[in-house]
Amino acid sequence: MARTKSKRRRQLEQVVVYPLDWVEERSGFVGAIRYFLFRKVPHDTNWFHTLGSATLTAFIVQLVTGVILAFYYKPSPNEAYDSIQVITNDLTLGWLVRGMHRWGASVFIILLFLHMGRVFLFGAYKYPRELNWLLGVLILVLAMLEGFTGYLLPWDQTAYWATVVGINLNATAPFAGPFISDFLRGGQEIGANTLSIFYSMHMLLIPGGLIGLITLHIYLVIRLGVTSPPWSQDPAGGERTEVVTAKRGLVEPRPRGNGGPP
Amino acid sequence: MANEQERAYFKRYKEDVETRGKPFHPWAMFHDTVMSLVVVSVIVALACVWYFTSGEEAGESGILGPRYTEEADPGTTSFIPRPDWYFFFLFYLLRIFKWPESVVLGTVGIPTIALILLFALPFMDRRRERRIVRRPVALVGALLVIASMGILTYKGATAEESLASENVELVDEWVQEQGLSEEGEQGATLFAQSGCQSCHTYLGSGSANLGAPDLSDIGASGQSAEELAAYVANPAEFGNQVMPAYASLGEENLMLLGTFLAESTGEGGGE
Ligand code: HEC
Ligand code: HEM
Repeated sequence: MARTKSKRRRQLEQVVVYPLDWVEERSGFVGAIRYFLFRKVPHDTNWFHTLGSATLTAFIVQLVTGVILAFYYKPSPNEAYDSIQVITNDLTLGWLVRGMHRWGASVFIILLFLHMGRVFLFGAYKYPRELNWLLGVLILVLAMLEGFTGYLLPWDQTAYWATVVGINLNATAPFAGPFISDFLRGGQEIGANTLSIFYSMHMLLIPGGLIGLITLHIYLVIRLGVTSPPWSQDPAGGERTEVVTAKRGLVEPRPRGNGGPP
Repeated sequence: MANEQERAYFKRYKEDVETRGKPFHPWAMFHDTVMSLVVVSVIVALACVWYFTSGEEAGESGILGPRYTEEADPGTTSFIPRPDWYFFFLFYLLRIFKWPESVVLGTVGIPTIALILLFALPFMDRRRERRIVRRPVALVGALLVIASMGILTYKGATAEESLASENVELVDEWVQEQGLSEEGEQGATLFAQSGCQSCHTYLGSGSANLGAPDLSDIGASGQSAEELAAYVANPAEFGNQVMPAYASLGEENLMLLGTFLAESTGEGGGE
């Protein structure tokens, strides 16, 4: 029995629905989000499959805390160290933001490796998901570079000397090595130029690249779907063996032995 | 190109998900949200432990290390370089390659090969089989990679670095053994303080890294104090891309260092 809605209720719904319809008609965004939310995933997806979105969460934590740090951090050799101290000791909750950014970086890298490990374990890099694995490897490389460039920014002894060694390592590469290290240093010695270059890469170039790659990565995940666990009794895309079809109740299980049911 | 079998698999996959899959929301969304909350809580917890167990002083370490060390100072380089933990494996890899010619294997060679293998994985492993126990090569390969990365990271984390302050105490000994002059002794102190020994060994102290040679008898090579000073000021000019430039130590200190090196003939002192 259809219950007629009160007038007030209908008005209320209008307030919500109208703008959504307005946006949908002009962009299709609402439909896209609805598709994203209510698309089907294999029935046997499990906790292993949460590692990807957990990595995404860690990345978003880095973005948010990073933007806040950038409000107060000063990328010059004279001011960087002081600004880090001010952020850590004086600003309200500055320590939390810096601490989360610093430790979030490690958590992000660990999750990245765990997620990659689960994709490997599941053999989920196989057809048709090869391209998504390649995107993933690129993401991994950029994430490590992000860690390397961020390490210099506090401009303390640890930061400085780790970077000295890091840049010298680059210099050992055949042919391009010396050019890379001169470029990274922005000159002969590590100083103001180096800090600007590292800051710009850490703030703009690498995160920009990462955001682009992650977007493509997730687009492919939605388009291709995620792989069932390989140990699943009834994986999506599994061979149509008798056991499986039987379990789904599509056909009667063939009686065992040569007789009918016991 | 994909073969028939692969296409058929993916077609079945799409059918199965369509007919028997579960909606992402709320099913997977629930798991994802719980996991994300765990991640954020862990990060906040780490930040709290780090902050509340450490102090405002530079280098005042808590359970998770100090908030910061002393301000960067290119002049006195008594500091031992240490990268963030996820570069430890690379750091330690370098110590395995002690000869200058082989360093490039550790810095560029092995990482490049590892990267190429990662990129090539989906193209090398073309079988449809996904159960790990039936992929013996993948299983053994993965275990080897995990074990070696684990060991290298652990070794890198616990590697004994000779501390500059300890080396300074050795200067007297060096003076005795090499018969250093007054200036040579000052140079020796600078040598001990300037972090040279995180790459070079000298009379059995310090750690050999990145293919840097032992310097106990560098003076026997016939180079003058001036030549050695010029080398240390800017090693890149002499084709050494590994060692940092020490021009920032200043003319006078460089000469002291040069004198010390020239006097280090390894022949025993006193003549
Ligand atoms: C980051 C590592 C590193 C540090 C730190 C370092 N060196 Fe070196 N040094 C090297 C390497 C590697 C070589 C050998 C390069 C080659 O043979 O091409 C070298 C070569 C030398 C040589 C030339 C040896 C020869 O056979 O001619 C001298 C002299 C020298 N270093 C002195 C010093 C002094 C003095 C310091 C400290 C002020 C220092 N080094 C700090 C890596 C380092
Ligand atoms: C910022 C980093 C990354 C983010 C945010 C991310 C996110 C995701 C998400 C949300 C999924 C859905 C399924 C799941 O969670 O497991 C996924 C799947 C996948 N990821 Fe990632 N990922 C990242 C890095 C990587 C890396 C480093 C690799 C491998 C080198 C990789 C390879 C894959 C593959 C092949 C799939 C498909 C898995 C399947 O079909 O079962 N990703 N990723």
